Amino acid sequence: MLRDLRRALSRERVRYGAADRTLFAHDASVFEGGLSGPICFPESTAEVQDIMRIAMQHERSVVPRGAGTGLTGGAIPLGAPIVVAMTKMDTILEVDIANGVAWVEPGVVNLDLTRSLSELGFNFAPDPSSQQVCTIGGNVANNAGGPHCLAYGVTDAHVLAIEVVLSSGDVVTLGSVRGESLGLDLRGAFVGSEGTLGIATKIAVRLSKNPPAVRTLLLSFSSMRDAAQTVSDVVAAGIVPAAMEVMDREITNAVENYVGAGYPRDAAAVLLAEVEGLEGGVEIDSQRIVEVAQSNNAKSIHRAESEAERALLWKGRKTAFGAIAQIKPDYYLHDSVVPRSKLADVLESIYEIGARHDLMVMNVFHAGDGNLHPILLYDGRIAGELERVHAAGAEIVRACLAVGGVLSGEHGIGVEKQPYMEEQFSSDDLDHQERLRRSFDPMCRVNPGKVLPEGHSCADIQALRSIPTGVWG
Amino acid sequence: MTGPIDLLLDPEALNGCVQCGLCLPHCPTYRVTGEEALSPRGRIKLMREVQDHGAPVTKDVLRSFETCVQCRGCESACPSAVPFGHLIEQTRASLVREGISRSALMRIALKALEFPRLLRLGTAFLSIANRMKLIPKQLGLPARLPVRQPAIPSTGQDVFLFTGCVMDAWQRDVHAAGARVLEAAGFGVTPTNELVPCCGALHAHAGLSDDARRLAEKAIRGLSGDDRPILVDSAGCGASMKDFGRMLDTEEAKAFSERVFDIGEWLANHLDRLPEVAPLDLSVAIQDPCHLRHVQRVHETTRAALSPFVSTLIELDDDGLCCGAGGAFMVLEPAMAGSIRDRKCASIERSGADVIASANPGCSMHLADAGVKMMHPMELIDRAIAAARA
Amino acid sequence: MTRAELAPTDPVLHSFAAELGDRGLVSIAGRGTRWSAGGEIAPGVQILRAPTGIVEVSPAEMTVRVRAGTLVADLNDALAEVGQRSALPERGGTVGGAIAVGEDHLDVLGRGRVRDSVLQVRYVSAEGKIISAGGAVVKNVSGFNLPKLITGSLGTLGAIAEVVLRTNPKPSMSQWLVSCDADPQLSFNTLYRPSCVLWDGSRTWVHLEGHAVDVAAEFDGLRHVGKFEPADSPPELPAHRWALTPRDAASMTSVEGGDFVASIGVGTLWADRPQAATPIDAALNVVHQRAKSLFDPTGRLNPGRAV
Repeated sequence: MLRDLRRALSRERVRYGAADRTLFAHDASVFEGGLSGPICFPESTAEVQDIMRIAMQHERSVVPRGAGTGLTGGAIPLGAPIVVAMTKMDTILEVDIANGVAWVEPGVVNLDLTRSLSELGFNFAPDPSSQQVCTIGGNVANNAGGPHCLAYGVTDAHVLAIEVVLSSGDVVTLGSVRGESLGLDLRGAFVGSEGTLGIATKIAVRLSKNPPAVRTLLLSFSSMRDAAQTVSDVVAAGIVPAAMEVMDREITNAVENYVGAGYPRDAAAVLLAEVEGLEGGVEIDSQRIVEVAQSNNAKSIHRAESEAERALLWKGRKTAFGAIAQIKPDYYLHDSVVPRSKLADVLESIYEIGARHDLMVMNVFHAGDGNLHPILLYDGRIAGELERVHAAGAEIVRACLAVGGVLSGEHGIGVEKQPYMEEQFSSDDLDHQERLRRSFDPMCRVNPGKVLPEGHSCADIQALRSIPTGVWG
Repeated sequence: MTGPIDLLLDPEALNGCVQCGLCLPHCPTYRVTGEEALSPRGRIKLMREVQDHGAPVTKDVLRSFETCVQCRGCESACPSAVPFGHLIEQTRASLVREGISRSALMRIALKALEFPRLLRLGTAFLSIANRMKLIPKQLGLPARLPVRQPAIPSTGQDVFLFTGCVMDAWQRDVHAAGARVLEAAGFGVTPTNELVPCCGALHAHAGLSDDARRLAEKAIRGLSGDDRPILVDSAGCGASMKDFGRMLDTEEAKAFSERVFDIGEWLANHLDRLPEVAPLDLSVAIQDPCHLRHVQRVHETTRAALSPFVSTLIELDDDGLCCGAGGAFMVLEPAMAGSIRDRKCASIERSGADVIASANPGCSMHLADAGVKMMHPMELIDRAIAAARA
Repeated sequence: MTRAELAPTDPVLHSFAAELGDRGLVSIAGRGTRWSAGGEIAPGVQILRAPTGIVEVSPAEMTVRVRAGTLVADLNDALAEVGQRSALPERGGTVGGAIAVGEDHLDVLGRGRVRDSVLQVRYVSAEGKIISAGGAVVKNVSGFNLPKLITGSLGTLGAIAEVVLRTNPKPSMSQWLVSCDADPQLSFNTLYRPSCVLWDGSRTWVHLEGHAVDVAAEFDGLRHVGKFEPADSPPELPAHRWALTPRDAASMTSVEGGDFVASIGVGTLWADRPQAATPIDAALNVVHQRAKSLFDPTGRLNPGRAV
């Protein structure tokens, strides 16, 4: 089988050394149970087809992978599958302004795409915090969001068509760059499927026009409740800003240590709000946001005065997770979404749950979407800390679900949030999700053991996890 | 393959990495290969495997460690401030100690740097050989090495100009330009010449920590009894000498490091002393040497110093990604250094600049070798001043 | 929380599920505005109607929960009362029908796609069970995206009972413009975010929405493109929808045998005759067939109709 793979690709693009297998057993999540088989670096659709066919011949699974920045273990190989690293397929194939579309390979880095479009006056709207490193293929797999998805929608709304290698080895194109075609939206089903329905080899993304005017407001508050209320009131007032992001005091200080962007260190919460559009409307909306903030006791109101200041503020916001290691070596992150009007209450519960479990909790989140990112800090070297983190995490998830929230807004389920799926969905619901999965991949050969919880998943997760090292000989 | 090895890495530094991956796009070797093993996150993970879990140093692991350019672009990108440069230097030092690194061979090669006359003689020989096309191209030598150059004269006692080893032998004209610019600003210059034969930067990068310490001590002794500023026109040397304080951890070394300035940094602080002249009619893109941008973090001063002297300053669009020179890297890993350089050249091409200014000899040689018109910022300032006087 | 508690409690949904049952051929009818889409229903099929009623309008959440049998017009009226609107097209039909067909509003550039606006869908399965898919919040990647699969499935995978839709604030100003001498593509390129740009081979219509000051500024910007005048409404659309690339739609000058209207930047075109059918790719068809057999193993949902 290794021989087959190496014949199809090349010796140096099929790795099976201990070092590579260790590295590809992980992504950016804390999950430790991965076990990688050979790692392939295809350079073309045809090579991905070859890999898929060889895998099926040998009754092996495959796991696609982008930059490995996923936070829920979606790219972690279970049961020593072939890892298909898409990082070498990183060409922007065509930028077609007349059709408002760009065709890219899945390994293209999100920010690289937006940068290459900027000269033409366009961007790729989804801007996850990891956008400087994450790939478009990974964005498709996770239906990635980002701060600016409040106004423009998540990845799904910006992907027109996807060339996919199915588990059969066949290549199909889901969706189309032509006008709305009716019929089953297999493209929509594929986006956000966490690499379980097939391997994307080309993606047509929609180009968005750069806004003529942008206004960035940095608002600070003496209480988290005031900040959360401001967010809710802004939307209730009929304003949809491009982004509304909140950070609490602790995370703001960690971020400020790194970027020095001028975030106020003494506020209980800071709100970064951005309005985009035409000059007149932007002025009106930002003024109204200021008024809403004032009526919610804003402590300070500041407008970014230059593009450089704006960029620095965003750099701070987007590197927030990484900055956490200044405080504790490990963190565990949730991604629940709650109704906007419940934000203030849920945040209070989250801090209370953290305190009860003697854990430091920080919050940095896409407030406009109600998408929370409670971060539980811990030191994995201290016995018992991780257990407390899991216990607190479970309580936080339940608190979010109890107010009508969902498990994940943009990070996906992966392996880490699988157990909670049964708290959001009935077994019938999950059974239908599995039918969707099997419509594409009847044998569950692509990224097995993800998303659906045990008992529902195509594959037996325990069996996948217990495959001994050295199974590949 | 080896038995368990203690890399002697600081556990706190090693644990500072949360594996978020934000470093990946800033790592030149990851950028050109897309391979986790050739990324800072991958390298740290493998350091942990070796140090904490007794994993053997296989061929792949060694490749991961030895292919690091040590540009330290990952440090600027790391929100958790993981000191990657120190981790990789220590890793290499431990591998040298265990005798499983090619750095042991490097020791012999780098020995020459301590003997300036020998180096100059060797350079003259290489130059002639090179012009006779006797040197294989993949060695990456500059196309035209100087055969003989006049010494830098001492013009006063205000500042030291660090002349160093390879640069003095190969690019003495840059020192000369820097000295003239300093004089134009009214600073009397003492070249360090034989006082400090070599700063030891390349030794430190190769993991030859004993040699690096010995050379650092020698440098400190050579310029002791004096508190004059030490100006450096090579970003790599400047970064290394600014790090003596941390490396040797003595009061004397710390005081020494406090005296070290990049020449651009120094001039940016004394802009008012430079003559006002008409700028050169050139569009110049600045290629930030990694050790200026990511280690010394004073790359903005190059812009401040240079901007009055050229008509147009252009920023490259690659976030200061390494050019692939990396000191000895371009000789040891010529293929990867070439791929990394291709990216840089594409960015240079997009910039449309006439000239690329780089404050580091390694970058200049590496890029000039690909046909890029390179100049040191001091050469540009010097030329603008000379043009005004003519 | 136990799994039983996760099932929806609304008795109206349960009686709809009971009515649909788990055997016999069934079809859900809305108002029949797209009744022939996907083929004619086989004879002898029991025709049911989905439950009606708006369950909850939440302007601060930008969502609405509505039962599938509700008229789109009624939904839009209720939303307008709180200053909101939906992405569904108003053509006399029901919410469930609009979602089963999945056709976008003419102003899709301003309102977003129907597919993207369906946050949660509750449908009755071929086995007569109520299935919840998606979530009632504006952002959600928890599990497989069944709402996407159901939207546009013409009722062949499940009978839509209730949905949660994303809504948006109603713009304070709306203005249609028309020009006889403006290039449609240039008009589109000149505008920042038009809600709609139409072209019939000689005239260009533009729909501007938003703050009055922005609408005025966009209008002003069009002066360099052509002579635009206010219009009361968009043109009449011919009956058949075509899907073209946006470039082809914009460069269309005539369609054999009648009039046409093309949506610029979208690629939808309306003509007097249907577009020549393109055969479905065989490998893709395998996925379609597998989905149908997994969701409706006995073929009882909308027999005769295929997506």
